[in-house]
Amino acid sequence: MELRDETQKLKRAHVILKEKFGYEQFRAGQWQVIQDVLNGHDVFAMMPTGSGKSICYEVPGYLMEGLVLIISPLLSLMEDQVHQLRKIGEKQARALNGLMHPQERKRVLQKINTLRFLFISPEMLRQPQILAVLQRTKVSLFVVDEAHCVSQWGHDFRPDYLYLAQIKAKLGYPPCLAVTATADERVRVDIARALDLRDVRQLLMSVDRSNIALIVKKVMDNSEKVDQLIQLLSKVRLPGIVYCAARDWTERLAEQIRLHTGLRTAYYHGGMDAVDRRKIQNQFLDGELDVLCCTNAFGMGINKPDIRLVVHFQFPGTMNAYLQEIGRASRDGKQGLAVLYYTEQDERYPSGFIDMNFPDDTMLHQVLVELDQGLLQTEPKDNFLETLQGRGASETAARFLYEQVRAVPREKRFLSILDECRRIIRERRIIQMNDLKVMKDYINSNTCRRAFYQSFYKEKQQHKPKLCCDQCGLQFDAFSGEESPEDRPHSEQILEWRARLTLLLKGSDHEK
Amino acid sequence: MIEESNKLLYRDELILYLIHCFQGERTISGIYHLLKGKKSAQSIQDSYLFHVEPFFHTCEDLDRMEFDSLIMECQHAGWICPKNDNSHHYILTQMGNEALAGQKTNLFPDGLRLTDYINDESQYWLKLQLMVQSLSALVHHQQAYLPLTHVPSVTESVRRCLLSTTLSRHDLANRFYEELVRLLSNCPSKEADLLVSQLTGFKKNGLTIRQIAVLTDRDNYECRLLFKSGLRRVMKQIAEKPDQFPYNSKLLHTQRSGLSRSAAETLQRIRDGLSLGEVARSRRLTESTVEDHLVEIVLKDPNFEVNHYLTDELELQIIQTATAAKTRQLKAIKSQLKAQASYFQIRLALARNAVRKGETFGGTSR
Repeated sequence: MELRDETQKLKRAHVILKEKFGYEQFRAGQWQVIQDVLNGHDVFAMMPTGSGKSICYEVPGYLMEGLVLIISPLLSLMEDQVHQLRKIGEKQARALNGLMHPQERKRVLQKINTLRFLFISPEMLRQPQILAVLQRTKVSLFVVDEAHCVSQWGHDFRPDYLYLAQIKAKLGYPPCLAVTATADERVRVDIARALDLRDVRQLLMSVDRSNIALIVKKVMDNSEKVDQLIQLLSKVRLPGIVYCAARDWTERLAEQIRLHTGLRTAYYHGGMDAVDRRKIQNQFLDGELDVLCCTNAFGMGINKPDIRLVVHFQFPGTMNAYLQEIGRASRDGKQGLAVLYYTEQDERYPSGFIDMNFPDDTMLHQVLVELDQGLLQTEPKDNFLETLQGRGASETAARFLYEQVRAVPREKRFLSILDECRRIIRERRIIQMNDLKVMKDYINSNTCRRAFYQSFYKEKQQHKPKLCCDQCGLQFDAFSGEESPEDRPHSEQILEWRARLTLLLKGSDHEK
Repeated sequence: MIEESNKLLYRDELILYLIHCFQGERTISGIYHLLKGKKSAQSIQDSYLFHVEPFFHTCEDLDRMEFDSLIMECQHAGWICPKNDNSHHYILTQMGNEALAGQKTNLFPDGLRLTDYINDESQYWLKLQLMVQSLSALVHHQQAYLPLTHVPSVTESVRRCLLSTTLSRHDLANRFYEELVRLLSNCPSKEADLLVSQLTGFKKNGLTIRQIAVLTDRDNYECRLLFKSGLRRVMKQIAEKPDQFPYNSKLLHTQRSGLSRSAAETLQRIRDGLSLGEVARSRRLTESTVEDHLVEIVLKDPNFEVNHYLTDELELQIIQTATAAKTRQLKAIKSQLKAQASYFQIRLALARNAVRKGETFGGTSR
């Protein structure tokens, strides 16, 4: 009897998968998670970037009564997920976040009972009016995306995530699905405890993406790097992303690449105007660019399945970040390539970034004193952050300070937390320096790259792909594009205003 | 002399021209803030004081690194130099003066002068882009698209415009198209091309200014100025004849908004009979902020009565002192007049004087 139930569920889930999402079958791990969710269990799923996490709550959304509530820490992620659902024709998907117009927020709340998916930021969820509306709604599934944000061990710790267990209780303990791409043992324990997961089913998939081949190239200096990169780009399959550690590098590289290869190349970084960023992103998504040189500001919420190449022009500070970034390659399951270039000069970038994650001691002391003197106020938050950034703190450092000072009770002096802050900074620095060391060990290791990171995540290597890594004898030739750059479709840019305006605003008549 | 070496690049001419206008009385940051359009009392007042208000807010997306490297370039070429050692105040060298004077035609587009609706420039442009993107998606039956902007005031305004009509989406798109064609037909085609190339819609992603500069083999600065000139021409037409452009006028605050919102509020209270101190207290502002407002009001409304704060004799004395000392630096004037005039009075006098002289856009020494 029970078995028949399960087969029935699987059948119905398959129909949804095919009809709504257009896939023939589930990918590894997806059905297991969906099955546990449908049976009302709390589930913790660790699935690597690009393995199709969202299907795990989207399919149940069509099989369960009520609203699927997805807590997401990043606006761009939220926006992309709503967009993906809209594209398959789902109208009952909305997002709720702090940047929206109050009117728009009101409209979303008014139609909450007709919604199937609601993406919400953890800050929004703490607002009493919003919680009240949700309490009157049947929440069928409580999804915590990027669940590692709940852990203080993680780099992305979000204090608002700590309230999620309370909120879940107020909503009557709907089944909870916590998903993340990477979490070591320590973080996993934190997640289960902080989210109050009960009778939890776990799915721990390997962090490995076997369809992404790995190459590390050591070179003498930056000019050799540029030469090699240009050669690489004219040889291998594209589109590709080139990650740089600094904004000016993205601009310089893009120009060099354009001049030497004629590829359609652009750059993207956090210093650009928001609309320009959006334009470049959309051009890349729509296949109008071959190469994008960017900082790590690019990537979150980017859903492009056919990226074939991810290059690191400078290496990132953690193995986690590295896997996350190369994980953007070939989400469609075809062959992808990740190349990391290394010169000794690159060493200064990541350690510099670690220093910038925290306020220096003089600033820390000064800010606490000024808060006690009433020269500075912790609220409004944005003013506080802006003031600190105006004094040269990075955004991360400003946020760090804000989290520390806002927890100080009214009767205590701010200066009283000085030593505690110093201790926290010391501890976190040690963790981050260790993470950096692992990344460097990866670059310097002379064994299989894949085996290296799998052992770091305490995984056993299951099977070794044929195209594995440079240590296993991989050559670039295996990735030669079947087309030369001249064959690539060159969508013509129309710059004449009348012609362009007509294309934009005149729908062709035969379309109805 | 070879003809070629005399010819300045667009960006060089722009910087030389502005340094010429500021005559070393403001730092190089002052020029950066002017181009960026920093909404501080100082930047706004300076733009009038030195008759460079057409350039205000023309290079919104300029970043400091790009600007600084341009300054270095001009210094290396020997066109500009610091006024004194270690100073951030720059002036033209003789070579710079000659180079600037050697430019035969005035390259700066006329539309830049239309600064009446400048406060709404960024908002209107965002709304226009989002409106075209939405209409394009509608007429092409696009299921979903990633909106270019999430600025709440912009999305709400576009939403209202789309919903406030009973027209079908095709008809609305047609009307909007027609309005834009009429508006742009009155702009030089270079400017219209720049504006429309940035627009996004179905299967046509908008280009960034920098991409257009590369494609058309022009300078970033030239593209920015041409675009702003075109945009200002469009806004002026809409503001002056809203009935002829009913859909675009829904996206533009057509109220002539020379004054910042806060200064307008101050003006209202002064007209209600409040003193400066009372305005400051009632609005919980510092008195110097209210003084900033007053200077702004004087700059934008030449007929505003200032007898309360500045007598005719004192005004004359200040202007004579400034003229004799050939400066518009407050400190220099104040040090001569000592207790006879306050900083506020000096600023008022300079502002009135600047307005009376009128615009000298296009260069005085050419």
